[in-house]
Amino acid sequence: MLKETITSDIGESYVKAVHSSGLKVYILEKPQYNSCYAIFGTKYGSIDTCFSVDGETTQVPEGIAHFLEHKLFESEDGDAFSKYAKTGAYANAFTSFDKTCYLFSCSNLFYENLEILLNFVQSPYFTEATVQKEQGIIGQEIRMYDDSPAWRVMFNMLLCMYKNHPVRIDIAGTTDSIAKINADLLYRCYNTFYNPSNMFLCIAGNVETDKILKMVESGIKQSNPLEIERIKPEEPQEVIKPLVEQSLAVAQPMFCFGYKHNADKAPTVKDKVCMDILLEIIAGDCSPLYKKLMDDGLINDDFSSEYFCGDGYSAVIFEGESENPKKVADEIKAEITRLQQDGINKKLFAAVRSGLYGNAVRSFNSVESIAMQFVDCAMNDTNIFDEIKYLKSVTTDDVFKRLQLFCNEKTVLSVINPLKEDKK
Amino acid sequence: MSKKIMLSSEGVEGLFIANHRFNTTSVSFNFYLPLKAETVANNALLPFILTSCSKDYPDFSLLNLKLNKLYGARLDASCEKYGDCQLLRMTVSVINDNFSFDSDSLVKQASELLLKLIFSPNVEEEAFLQKDVDREKRKAIEHIKGEIAEKRIYAKTRLISEMFKGTAYGIPKCGTVEDVNAVTPQSLYKAWQNMLRTAFVRIHVVGAAVPSKLFEEIDEKFAVIDRHNITDCKICKPALATDKVNTVFEKMDVKQGKLVMGFTSDVYGDDDLSLPLMVMCDIFGGGPYSRLFTNVREKMSLCYYCSASSVRYKGLLTVDSGVECENADKAIDEIMNQLKIMQNGEFSDSEFQSSIKSICDSLKTYYDSQNSLDLWYALKINNQNLYSPEDIIEKIKAVTKEDVIYAAKGVKLHTVYKLLPKEGVIC
Repeated sequence: MLKETITSDIGESYVKAVHSSGLKVYILEKPQYNSCYAIFGTKYGSIDTCFSVDGETTQVPEGIAHFLEHKLFESEDGDAFSKYAKTGAYANAFTSFDKTCYLFSCSNLFYENLEILLNFVQSPYFTEATVQKEQGIIGQEIRMYDDSPAWRVMFNMLLCMYKNHPVRIDIAGTTDSIAKINADLLYRCYNTFYNPSNMFLCIAGNVETDKILKMVESGIKQSNPLEIERIKPEEPQEVIKPLVEQSLAVAQPMFCFGYKHNADKAPTVKDKVCMDILLEIIAGDCSPLYKKLMDDGLINDDFSSEYFCGDGYSAVIFEGESENPKKVADEIKAEITRLQQDGINKKLFAAVRSGLYGNAVRSFNSVESIAMQFVDCAMNDTNIFDEIKYLKSVTTDDVFKRLQLFCNEKTVLSVINPLKEDKK
Repeated sequence: MSKKIMLSSEGVEGLFIANHRFNTTSVSFNFYLPLKAETVANNALLPFILTSCSKDYPDFSLLNLKLNKLYGARLDASCEKYGDCQLLRMTVSVINDNFSFDSDSLVKQASELLLKLIFSPNVEEEAFLQKDVDREKRKAIEHIKGEIAEKRIYAKTRLISEMFKGTAYGIPKCGTVEDVNAVTPQSLYKAWQNMLRTAFVRIHVVGAAVPSKLFEEIDEKFAVIDRHNITDCKICKPALATDKVNTVFEKMDVKQGKLVMGFTSDVYGDDDLSLPLMVMCDIFGGGPYSRLFTNVREKMSLCYYCSASSVRYKGLLTVDSGVECENADKAIDEIMNQLKIMQNGEFSDSEFQSSIKSICDSLKTYYDSQNSLDLWYALKINNQNLYSPEDIIEKIKAVTKEDVIYAAKGVKLHTVYKLLPKEGVIC
């Protein structure tokens, strides 16, 4: 197995190894900790609805990656939860736009838990009967999200921002789309995306690297690496509709205001660092805009911003609750225009950079956070310490350049309004 | 590993929770006050207004800038219901000095900042400033009203207020919108004075070392305050069983219904008395191995989630689930059936062992989170003995199956709350 040790100047180091199957393994030892956190994941999420292997193209129902995640917990010899129940570990899984991750956290019997994880993720077992049962459970989950204003406000925005890119689709799909899922389709997706060359194993905590690598050596099933072509439809630069509103049971309007960015090139770690700094300068809690919006009673502590990007999509999203979301959106636009003209305040830049550096150092307190950062490294082929490195060297000019990505004509404002009778 | 630090003022305690594994140090102030309808809203605003500005930082932007310069020092405020008390918490955490670019004394600076925020707020003529009070009132009201957006939390809060109507525990932790509206700059100033004079106070440091002279400075601050009528945190009335189950419906524009059931328990009180309830609750509706998960969700597909949790000090157990309206009664029957199974001791040894292992495993992880450790000790205030997570692990291992059956037998249904969709079947 190819193996390298990567060190940093904050006293942490980790090992990255690549198994002969192509599986990437990341391990950071924390011998003074009690707990361990492990994630076994695949670069496969809700946006992978159309793909081609060896010239054969497959279009699959929306929500199938998430469905597969649920079903993988069942194996022929019982479900994974009952195996974890014998060790006491906490286990879970999640599916996002571009990945599916299976995880556990424990402070005892780490290697037994790792064996359970490696085994069940590599042992698919789908029958028509078990698929049918899951359609009921996931149907409930979808209905729960239908009632969640925070979820709806985000997806309503994406629906108006993206015309063709599958990021516009709910991760769990719809009751109609999941009704089309069957065991055959699940196997086809599994055999494509759960090939070890498309997967990663990320571990942090009180563990021994060599012992893990030995288990991986013998525990990963050999298979030939696959060339997966992910087919994404052409996506226009423009948004579809600048405003979308829905009424739900909320007390005051909730909003998501997004800038659609050009997504031709995948963002680098430096791009992300610059964007994080920029978002703090535009709307962070010591920015002039934040003060104005708070003083005017237009936002509360729930106001936040996010750089939202992945394969073929890139956006900046501001979200929160407000009596007047349109006014908030106008103020954000005005502030971005002002910054584009006036440039970046150097003092604010220095303070924000120190703050983000502190947050990055702090993130190494948590084995969960380290494992999650490794997932990002595996997805983007980066190094976990790059963020700290760039935070030290980034300049105001670097950040200012990214301001030019914002175009006030390519925005969507999504609002969830209170139902009329609830407004009182 | 935790060490009490004696302070000279009555009802003020220091606690150093030594832990070398973190890159950060945290200092928290915990003020405990009785939960009363007439003071709840003023008290609840205090941690938020105090951590938003001060004499030195009259504007929240300036304060936030300072926190950024302290390498993203984190200032957190919260108001929690803890038994029949209100717990007001203010915490600062900061990266350790060795990580700063220029060897600043970050930990000392951050803890001094917290002291100033609490003891030197921006007040004039025995009142907070109107603009600061207005801002915090608006945020608090938006927060209270906003609870309706999170249906799962909303449903559970509604159950508690129904089940404990007319008692301290039934009071919402931050008060009602009307309570907050009634707050004035003067009333808030009085609440602040009252907090400093009468609250039971516990100051925690979690990290490798206590910032130098921190506790001496705290002692000096309290020395000039007339401390009296200190809150007795041990006063907490247990939930009382009822002969007639109270069922409450509410209709709302939702697609999925919520079902929350509140039970009373004969086993209650501090860690020396109530650990069997913790184990019982876990086998009943804790992890994915629990009876509610495996039966109500997995076998019967009645809901997306169905889980149980307990507030041991109050002798309260709740079950909450997301169900389709037409399945609500089936779900109730099955939940009651599973409770009966628990009471009859018809759960297996392996279920019992799974639960013990899972609880012990997660207790050990407390040592890996600064915030969890801090909160652990903040919520142990009314215990006779200050047990660490390790101590509780030993005690959990001593709980027997018979103890669990005994605890289950004392669990009785008290209130059922259903949040139902407006359209469709009437259940």
